[in-house]
This record gives sequence, structure tokens and C-alpha cells, in this order.
Amino acid sequence: MVTRRQSFALVGGGVLAAGLPRAALAAVETDKRLVVVLLRGAMDGLSAAPATGDPDYERARNGLAITPPGESGGALKLDSTFALHPNLTGMKSLYDSGEMILVHAAATPYRDRSHFDGQNLLENGAEQPYGLDTGWLNRALAQMPATGKPLGVALNSHMPLMMRGPAAVTSWAPSLLAPPDSDTIQRLASLYGETDPQFAANFANAQSANGVAMGGAGAGGGYQTFVGLMTAAAKFLSAPGGERVAMVEIGGWDTHVNQAGAFSPLSTNLLTLDRGLAAMKTGLGAAWQQTAVVIVSEFGRTVAMNGTQGTDHGTAGAVFVVGGAVKGGRVLADWPGLKAGALYQDRDLKPTTDFRTIATGVLRDHMGLQGAQLAAVFPSSAPIKPRDGLIRA
Amino acid sequence: MSIEGVIAANRFGLGARPGEVATVSGDPKGWLLAQLTPERELPRPLQSLPSTIDDMSAFFKWIRQIADEAKAHGMDPYKLKPQGAPGAAMSGVSGGMSGSDSGFSIEREYVKAFLPRYAVAVKARYDVAVTTDRPFFERLVHFWTNHFVVSGAKPGAITMPPSFERDVIRPNVTGRFADMLMASSKHPAMLFYLDNYHSIGPNSKVGKDPSLRAPKVQQAFAVPQMAGLNENLAREIMELQTLGVRSGYTQADVTSFARVITGWTIAGPPRVPVYKLVLDGRLNGKGLFEFDDEEHEPGPQTIMGKVYAQAGVDQGEAVLNDLARHPATAHFIATKLARHFIADDPPPAVVERLAKVYLASDGDLKAVCTALVNSPETFDPSPRKFKPPEDYVISAARALPTLQSDPGSLLRAYGSMGQTPYNPPGPNGWSDVEAEWLGADSVWKRFEWANQTADSVATATMNPSELAKDVLGPSLSPATAQAIARAQSPAQGLTLLLASAEFQRR
Repeated sequence: MVTRRQSFALVGGGVLAAGLPRAALAAVETDKRLVVVLLRGAMDGLSAAPATGDPDYERARNGLAITPPGESGGALKLDSTFALHPNLTGMKSLYDSGEMILVHAAATPYRDRSHFDGQNLLENGAEQPYGLDTGWLNRALAQMPATGKPLGVALNSHMPLMMRGPAAVTSWAPSLLAPPDSDTIQRLASLYGETDPQFAANFANAQSANGVAMGGAGAGGGYQTFVGLMTAAAKFLSAPGGERVAMVEIGGWDTHVNQAGAFSPLSTNLLTLDRGLAAMKTGLGAAWQQTAVVIVSEFGRTVAMNGTQGTDHGTAGAVFVVGGAVKGGRVLADWPGLKAGALYQDRDLKPTTDFRTIATGVLRDHMGLQGAQLAAVFPSSAPIKPRDGLIRA
Repeated sequence: MSIEGVIAANRFGLGARPGEVATVSGDPKGWLLAQLTPERELPRPLQSLPSTIDDMSAFFKWIRQIADEAKAHGMDPYKLKPQGAPGAAMSGVSGGMSGSDSGFSIEREYVKAFLPRYAVAVKARYDVAVTTDRPFFERLVHFWTNHFVVSGAKPGAITMPPSFERDVIRPNVTGRFADMLMASSKHPAMLFYLDNYHSIGPNSKVGKDPSLRAPKVQQAFAVPQMAGLNENLAREIMELQTLGVRSGYTQADVTSFARVITGWTIAGPPRVPVYKLVLDGRLNGKGLFEFDDEEHEPGPQTIMGKVYAQAGVDQGEAVLNDLARHPATAHFIATKLARHFIADDPPPAVVERLAKVYLASDGDLKAVCTALVNSPETFDPSPRKFKPPEDYVISAARALPTLQSDPGSLLRAYGSMGQTPYNPPGPNGWSDVEAEWLGADSVWKRFEWANQTADSVATATMNPSELAKDVLGPSLSPATAQAIARAQSPAQGLTLLLASAEFQRR
């Protein structure tokens, strides 16, 4: 039997849909929500979540160390070792209310230092960059129960790799253009139906996305920023019969220069990230309790400052798992330390947690995916053990 | 009209102007090959743009003024705190895709101040593309600007890409790759965008005694006051501009290459702001590239097993010339060109052919493009490429000579569709594959724009059916022709033409 969503997928996802294994579909529609926030450009995990309690932190960062907790303008203390950047006040509240986990010294399997390969691998979920041309989040969607419409939405005018693949997905970004009349809409829909199935499926998805995003308060503007996109994502996820998985991204993390300055893009970006999360929580309302948000970047940055008061491309960094469904208020870190001999290739924070164990932990305990399904999402030569206990029972 | 004529105008050009398919159909190949010549003069819309010096000094000049103002008000410019709500200056430009939106940001204030200049440059690029009778040449200009990327998405760089395109790309599109690479690596815009202008050799004179640099550093907060290596440009030259990633070089090669190009900097900053040199008349006709031996890492360097013992700027030039000649570079460039013009997943035979010509001709881009046009896959009748947003907008404008466009409406269109010229999100440029661009949101945004555009140009006497035949020739499907013919108004017919799948594929 081909469900309606599968037929969409066959049209929208092209030939890929036919070739990939599709695990048995669960019978019940999920009410869980999953958001992935992709920080493009390699966030400096040692600034976002400084290990101010590590005796080597200040020395190792030679000039970029965040002021320790307790001092004026200091970091926000999480435990005896870790803290948050002073601009992450909302995240700190979520930690205190048991809704945020910091995972530190985490990385994908990628060990080189190209943004684009690193992002490619983070998005495709393979072991090699360009190892797969579909995204892991899309493959996860393909394992979820069918509802007859796309379950995933990219808040983006492009279609990010993480969301490409066999499952039908939609995309939405704010428009600065005037809406056409309904007669023209109908004529074009029928023309696409006759001439180009790919255009037809996308056009149908766009119409329904517009209905959700532009409905209710806040319609017609205010979406131009990351905070706005997070607000819009919350609308999709909280709408009756709406999407269950959203992907939002924010760039500007490639801080090679002047990272610690008062005007540094890093400080501003962290503030933006924090506000975006707050907006999403507000927008989701009761659905926040059903939500997990995974915040991840392609890799971390060098431990030591470079020659231009910034940091260069590194390896491990910080991942955040946030949301009402998250069993938070904890730091998960097999901390490698920052002593000279402890660094990866003598320059980067050493990776001790595979990001895929976090992602599969969330997909299993939050979205209900099991063994073979998880293996389809993150195909791997060695088994990936999903991290237990990320989600409230 | 022939399908080959449509393909030449559409797949290799920027979309047909009325009458173009008919003209080109006589000798589509000849029409394309004739465009592979250097341009005799700069296209008119580009002639009135600001000079390179002006574009390059804008940021430093502006930021110095802000610093002076802050000091005049008794404030320390280093200690201005983030405050208050944002002015989301980039929002109209980026379409909300990147950047931050909270807190005070000096860079954002700068972008706001220079947005009008950026908009004028985008409009000039559009005007050239819409009016040119050498659209294949122009496609190549856009292609190479998307290869050697300087993006205005970097705070401080918003004025720089148009100068870079004019100085580095346009003169070299049909020349040698090595020349373009050299021009790019020495252009102040690239040295700024990828941070090399203040990358300093640890064992150079300044590197060993950073106090030497202190008096040279301008007292504005744009310039870091440290002295050390920054490997950004070296890495991206190897990864994105020549060899391609995973082609065999190592982190150690990147670091060595970064040492080789220390001292490759901009005349002026960080020591003396460029604008002061300009104001003082001290440039004296010299270019803006400067090699500073006091900041250059001395001694030989080994890159991919070869020792470069040259002194000074010669060392970097030798490496760049070797990179340009490397077989990995030939393959990388051949793949990108074939992907751009023929198919997202280019036929290996084409790639191999182009790479061979590249190596045999020592990177002669005219020879490589000639081989591309002469490839049997070139005129494959089924469209395998989807126009990215900028090319979509340009092709519509070419089809509609009466369309009026102002910089503001252009930026809104590009921003809504997610591709703002000169501002790709990173140094890898815009994606060149359909999977990136063809989604629900893009189909809808193009439709909205088509509708708005059609409304603005349609007249009671306009015949969209004739226009469709004229610009799409035999690629116009019967269903689309019929839908246009049955439209209730010329504007609606035009909307259906511009939004049709065959108008968006090529």
C-alpha cells in the first residue's frame, strides 16, 4: 500500500525515494516535536560554554578566556567546571529549570577542518563528507508515522542538506513580495500538475505553509531574523496537524578575528541564539513540553587564540539539548581537559562524545525510532550507542 | 528557431531577449564561441561605480570616524557596550538567512550606512547582465566571482566585491587561471575577506617583536593588535580555489602555505588607514597590494613535499603557480564548470575532457570553455539545470525589455528568493545544484515575484503567447502554451510564462 505521504515523497524526493530502505511505519502519529538549530561557521564551544573551573582554562585560552562566574560580567555557572557565556541568560534559566543539557567535547566523526566538508557530514550523517546525498533529519522523518502531509519544515529559502531526502518536506521563509490572487494560484497549480511533478508538490506544500505561518498574530512581518524564524518555526510546530520537525540555521560563527571584543560577532550571535530559543519557547506554548531542540555546529575552534585575537578551525565543541521534554539541568562531558598534552593534534579540544550518540538518543527516546530505523538515519561501520537518559521518561 | 538556439541562449546565456533565440539558432555554437574574447571596455553600467581605493577604504575610514566621534564624546571606543534593540540592517539583504539580530553591532551600523552603495552595485551587475549581448561571457564572470569569493556578508566587506569582480574576474575570464588566481590572492578585498592582511610570520621581525607593530596599528577597534599567523586565506585557496578539498594536502601544508603568504597585505591598514594615504596623495599610483618583508615568515617552506626556498613575495608566487598547474586543480575546475553549465552531477567524460584541456593548455580558460561548448553533452535537449534565483530574475528581465527595476525592489526580490549577489554566506559561494534551490519556498517566492513583475509590465496590447514562443522556442510545452493562451489577462498570462517550469529550468 502506498500512503498519501509516500506518494508525495516519491514525487517530491525524486528517485531517491524509491531506492532507500523504509522501515515499517509506526501506526500512531507522534505529538513530539524536534528542532535542529544548525550554527554554521563553527561555534567556539569554549566561549559558549567555558570550562572556567578547569585549572588550565585561562592559560590555555591565552587572552580569550571568559571571565569566571562570580566576577563582574562573568560567566553563568553551571557546575564546578562549566559555565555559560554571560549572554546566554535564557539558556541558564532553562538549565536551572531542568530543561537544558550541555554536552561538551562533542564532535561529529569529521576530523579535518573544512567548514563545508564539516557541515556536509553533520548534515548528511554519513561517516564521510559527501558519503550520502540525503540528510539525516530527512531520513529520520522517513521513519516517522505518516500523516499525509510533510512532517518536516526548513525555515529557509534554500533546502538545507540535512532536510533533503526521501521524506516529503516543506520550506518557508518570510516574503517581502505581494501575494498573488487565488485564480492565478489555481491556474498555476494545475499547470504544474500537467507539466512538472516536482514543481507541483512543492507548490502545494508552499500554499499550506503560508496558511500556517501567515495566520494569527505576527503575520506579515517580523520574520526577517533568526528570532523571527524561531517564532515562525514555533507556529508550524504548534499548529493543529502541523509539522513535527523543524530545522533553523544561523550563520556567522567563523570568528577568526577579534573574537573577544565588545562588538564581537560571537557575543552578538550568542545573544541572538538565546533570544531565539526564548521566542520559540513562548511561541510553542503547551507544545514546549513535547519539544526537544538540538543545537549543533560543524566543529569547534582552536583552544588557543590565533594571531588575530580570534580562533581558527578546530575539532570538538559544545552541543546543547534544550526543551520541555529534555531531562536537563545537567552537563554531559567526558572532559578531556585543556593541558597541552590533552589537546587533539596539540591545538583543539579533544572529541570524547560522538554527536551521533546524542542525536540517536533523542531520536530514540523522543521520536520513538528503534534499531534498524536509527541505523538508516546514521549508517555507520561501527555501532552507534544512543545516549541514554536525554529525554524525560 | 531550434532547440540548440534555446539551449545556447538559456543554458549557456542568461535567458533569451525577444528575437535572440531566432538569431542564435543559425549558429548556436559559433555564437557562444565568439563570446570567448576579452571585453574591449568595461560595460557602461560599471563605469560609474566607485574606485577600488574608495571601496577598500570605506570601512576603515568610517570606523575611524566612529572612533573619533566616540572619543570626542568622552567614550572609549573599545568599551562601547552592546545595548538595546537592533537595527536589523542586513535583514533586507540577507533575507533573514544569516547574521544576528540582537544587540548593538558596529558592523551592522556600517552595513546600514553602506547598504545604498551595495544596492547600486547590485543594480549595475543586473543592468550589465540584462542588456549584454555577450551573456555567455557574463555567465562566466558570475561563475568566477562565485569561485574566488569575496562576500559582503562579512562585516566590513560590503563595499568590496564589486571592485574585486571588476579588477580580478572580468579581465581574466578568457585568460589563464594562474593569472586570475594571482590577481585574486593579491587583491586587497581577498586579503581582507580571508584575513590575510594581518597574518604575521611568528619569526618575522614584527612577529618576534610585536611592539614594533604597535606604533603601526591604527587606534580603531577594527584591527586586532596582535601579531601572529592566520591560516584562513591559505586554507581556502587550497580547498576552494585550486586543489579542492580531500585532494591530498594536509594541515601541515595549509600551515606552511599560510607562512608563505605572511606579509601579503594591504597598503595602508593595519599600519596607516588607506584613506589617509588617499587623502595625503601618498599612494602615487601604486596598487593596494603590498608585500611587507618585516611581517613575512623567513626561510624555506615545504608544501606537498616540495621545498620553496625563495625569498619574499616570490615564494608565494611560486606556490600559487604550482597550485594553478596541479592536476587536482584541473579536475576541480573542470568539475565545477561542467556542473555549472551541464548537469548537477556532471558526466565524467566531460570533466575528464575539460581537465585534459586545462592541463595541456596550462590553464588557458578560453581553451577550456571552447572544449565545454564543443562537448557533445552541451546540447543535450533535456534540461538538467535549475536556474538559481539571480539568473531567474535576470532571465525574466531579459525577456521583458520594458521592465523597470530599482535597486530597492531588486534587493527585495533577491532577498526573498535567498540569493543576494555579492553576499554568499561563506567563501564557498552559492550552491550550484538544484537540491539546494528547488523547494517549496523557492517555487512560491518565484511565483510571487513573477506575479508582481508581470503586473508591473503588462499592457492591454501585450501578447504573452507570442513572447513565450519567442523566448522559449521549441522548449515551450503545449500545456504551458495553452495555459498562457487561456489566461484571463495579459498580466496573468505573463505570470504563468515566468512561473512555468520550462522558464525556470535550462
